[in-house]
Amino acid sequence: MIAELLNTLWVSSIYSLMSVPLTLSYRVTKIINFAHISFITYGAYVAVIFSLLLPLGLIETSLIVFLVVAVLAVLNHMLVLSPLMSRGTNVVTLMIASMGSWIFLKYLLYALVSSAQKVLRVDLFYVTPNIAIPSTIIIGEFRVSTFLLISNAMNIMTLLFLYVFLMKVKLGRAMRAVADNAGLAQITGISKNAVLNATWILTGGIAALGGLAWSLSYYASPELGDNVILQVFACSVIGGLSSIPLTFAGAFVIAFAENILIAWLHTYLGLDVSFRPFISFLTLLLVILIRPPAGGGGGLPYRFKLPFRGDKKRSTS
Amino acid sequence: MLSWSSLFTIYSILAISLNLEIGFTGISNFGKVAFYGIGAFIAASFGIWSFLLVFRLAYPLYGLNTIIALGKIAAANPLLNVTVFFVSISLSFIVAGIFGYLITYPTLRVGPAFLGITVLSFGELMRIFLRHFKPTGAASGLMGLPHPFAWINDSTMKSALFVISALAIMVIIYSFSQRLVNSPYGRAMKSIREDEIAALCLGKNVLRYKAQVLFIASGFSGVAGALLVFYTGFVSPDLFVTSVTFDIWAMVIVGGMANNRGAILGTAVITFIDRLAAILNFIPWFPLDPNILRWMITGILIIVVLMFRPSGLLPERTLKTPAWETIGLGSKAISTMERGRALVSFLFKLMIKIVDWFKAGGR
Amino acid sequence: MSEQSKPENKGTSILPRYVALLLIGIVIGSAVGYLVESSAVESERSIVSQLQDQVAQLQAVKEYSIGCTFPLTGDLAFIGTQFQSVAEMAVADLNNQTARYGLKVRFNLVIYDDKTTPEVALTNVQTLAQAGVKVVIGPAGSSQIKAIKSYADDNKIMIISPSSTVPDLAIPDDYIFRTTGSDVGQSQALATLISGQGMKKVLVFARDDDYGVAFGQFFKKDFEALNGTVVIMNYAVGQTDYSSEVAQLSTKVKNEGFDSVLMITYDTDGANILNHAKDDATLSSIRWFSSEGVQGTPQLTDPAIAAFIQKVKLYGTRPVFKENPLLLNFKAEFKAETGLDAGVFTDKVYDSVFLAGWSIIAGGYDGAAIKEALPKVAQNYYGASGWCILDGNGDRLIQDYAVWTVVPKVGGGFEYQDVASYSSGSLVWG
Repeated sequence: MIAELLNTLWVSSIYSLMSVPLTLSYRVTKIINFAHISFITYGAYVAVIFSLLLPLGLIETSLIVFLVVAVLAVLNHMLVLSPLMSRGTNVVTLMIASMGSWIFLKYLLYALVSSAQKVLRVDLFYVTPNIAIPSTIIIGEFRVSTFLLISNAMNIMTLLFLYVFLMKVKLGRAMRAVADNAGLAQITGISKNAVLNATWILTGGIAALGGLAWSLSYYASPELGDNVILQVFACSVIGGLSSIPLTFAGAFVIAFAENILIAWLHTYLGLDVSFRPFISFLTLLLVILIRPPAGGGGGLPYRFKLPFRGDKKRSTS
Repeated sequence: MLSWSSLFTIYSILAISLNLEIGFTGISNFGKVAFYGIGAFIAASFGIWSFLLVFRLAYPLYGLNTIIALGKIAAANPLLNVTVFFVSISLSFIVAGIFGYLITYPTLRVGPAFLGITVLSFGELMRIFLRHFKPTGAASGLMGLPHPFAWINDSTMKSALFVISALAIMVIIYSFSQRLVNSPYGRAMKSIREDEIAALCLGKNVLRYKAQVLFIASGFSGVAGALLVFYTGFVSPDLFVTSVTFDIWAMVIVGGMANNRGAILGTAVITFIDRLAAILNFIPWFPLDPNILRWMITGILIIVVLMFRPSGLLPERTLKTPAWETIGLGSKAISTMERGRALVSFLFKLMIKIVDWFKAGGR
Repeated sequence: MSEQSKPENKGTSILPRYVALLLIGIVIGSAVGYLVESSAVESERSIVSQLQDQVAQLQAVKEYSIGCTFPLTGDLAFIGTQFQSVAEMAVADLNNQTARYGLKVRFNLVIYDDKTTPEVALTNVQTLAQAGVKVVIGPAGSSQIKAIKSYADDNKIMIISPSSTVPDLAIPDDYIFRTTGSDVGQSQALATLISGQGMKKVLVFARDDDYGVAFGQFFKKDFEALNGTVVIMNYAVGQTDYSSEVAQLSTKVKNEGFDSVLMITYDTDGANILNHAKDDATLSSIRWFSSEGVQGTPQLTDPAIAAFIQKVKLYGTRPVFKENPLLLNFKAEFKAETGLDAGVFTDKVYDSVFLAGWSIIAGGYDGAAIKEALPKVAQNYYGASGWCILDGNGDRLIQDYAVWTVVPKVGGGFEYQDVASYSSGSLVWG
């Protein structure tokens, strides 16, 4: 049981690092951004490649990873999303455009990794960053994995930073204004472009930190983003795609379902362990269907009710 | 070229069905692959089971004895083969349609933003469930489904006949969709897409329209799935991953939403682009890695098309409802029925020409 | 009304139509090009010039294409990229060999990536067939082979797969040949090994896919024939992390008292599982055994995991003949070329290329002829993977297995080593 609890804590912090920026970017831009997958994967691989070339510590790696992927996110915005947004294309088209950049970035990464593998002569398709950190440390009488502490530390620091930023700092409050009503925000003098750029910097950077945490804890592979994205989306969706604290809670719910819930079902109901992904999606579906988020991140502005049988029949249908 | 056409037909049916959902009615269906998979599994299970039933063999649906037995039976019974083919397709249409209908309530309950992930999780759930479902082969899937034209010895003829049947089905689905859309029903669909509340206020039963559209479109996806399994003779849960849905979305968006011809064009572009790019592998002196380029081209193509032509290659057109045509608006007011007749006779002549050409020893 | 009658965007709609026409034109044009090229009409010539042509042909070097479809991206990219390097190495060696023998044939490779999906594998085989390639090496996954089987059989394209081991593809008289021994043999080897080590109650921790499920069932049959007990636990594949599955495994081992665990995995998930198992007290106190999936991954030579492997005395089997000098040459060549250790099945890829090449030389460049020639060529071929004799189903007949583990290396660090070999029922240590 202890092992499952620790796993839940560990995985939920990483999921939270990956899904909070997704919530943030959706809330400000209303675009479901597929390139988020690439941000996560690039975060992991930037760490891997830099750590193989230079001897780096954890803090330097985090900084480099944040900066590089933040730049990537802003470039993605400037080259792909911004021209389309200025033409007033609808959200679905923007989502497909982000899908295009996801595909492009994914195979660009494959090309880079293949060439790097030929040059460095080290296997790069399933690799961890080469950062000199002991994998377990002793606290009191427990042997705890360092990476669990690191992921949780990164997560808590990021959430605190976002809280302070969005509540107190002017740019953060501008971001919230644009998220709520872009037109009115612009009227009050907020530069929408600056806000969007800042949003993408934060999104890309934090997602990359999520990728770094994952690759440290487990491994990096070019399919990393693709494999976690459904769980990450699930966390954001539980958070209503608009609320960051709820997304953090969503990360817990999904991690719980994947670790502890499946353990209970296996022990008490004899359910096969191979149903694990089934349970996470079922949880997601139940949460959405039972309490669909209305307004804010989506949902109908009204609850559609089936016509009551006693109603008079209308002449048209 | 034949082999390309079969997969192209299957994908264009999927694209048309997605177009009906997102292009005309505004339902963002991200779980298309679920209905595709349901249709495929139903067709495969029914196909194998019906053969076993007719010959009273007590083998399970999967397994080596089944494959060998089926191989022998199929070659000897032409009528049974073709009948099973058509019955399976109809059955997949109905079952997949029913599942589509069942999804209407969740569609209404969550909003448009969450609809995507809801249907997507439904798709994944189906896939994981099928991976454990022993009667349909669990993770190994079902193999050895006889080709509907397995009784013909000439393999080119076999493929040609299959392509022709698939094309015929695609034409039926296309003309049905065109008729459905170019009518007051289509106008209602569009109104639901534009503004649901307004449609409700005008007395349109939004629930019923969405349910019907989902039934029809999911049924079509099921038919596509059935065609796929008869083409490859194999079905497994791994064929129905979420990236298939994204591919079909790309086809619809690139080709043009709310335009059935656009859906087909988009399918053609995406299906053929990476085959054409694969030709680069044959050029030894090409500097970049052609394999990676092949996949990157799809991504770049999506972005480029959306950049310069955001509404897709073929934009949305006005609906040619019967009222429109009666009033005589639009320069060439040829009625749909006449156009349909002309199309069918043209295709018929084309089919005859293809068959003759293959008989004469082409590929 | 008349305003409504104007069709939308009359003026600006020309460009996309031309673009669409251009694309359709490209498609039709390339199709026509293929057709024209392949149905060239022979012109009549005089007898003298025909003889001259024949002499020139005998002196010219014929170039044949061998197609490949490997998983260069996707879940099996780790293996697929190695396959690519090995195939290129093999073709270079093959061309050297034919040049040395004075044969006027050369081979070139056309390698396609199939994204580890069955559909793209099918697309690749179709594209290769379209271009006239008659032999395809790959695909790596069994479900991919099943998807291409009916197309390959209909169009007489010979498929040589180096890494598929599921028993239900053992179908006679088709165009699929597999140069790796079926898991039927490997499960017998494992059963012999594990019962020889004194284990009585084994928990099988297998992938929940075609490979893992079939392997688990065969092992259960073989081990229970040796008076042991087996319980199978399947885990869902395609996850990024297996910590919760390992936690379940540990609970089950503790509650039901197993003395060993047999893991049937691929490389990435196997390494992940061992990574988590090393932190678990229960799992560190029993014996572990493994199939070939995880052999060769660099993660296992990591000090922490290697220490765990030493502690639980993990032994695994893999389909390779330990004492083969050609294998040692191959491994050295691969390491020199890429700097990596040759992964599992790479030796089979190497031999598949050679088998394909020699079958083409023996039978000519025609699918049916190659199908007849391959079993005869394979009968006399001893390569990096040992004797390549094929059985009636077109699968490898004689497959020896080596028992591998991870041992400390001279000068620090850890390395893989084969400690025993299994051949036709008997296990020889040393």
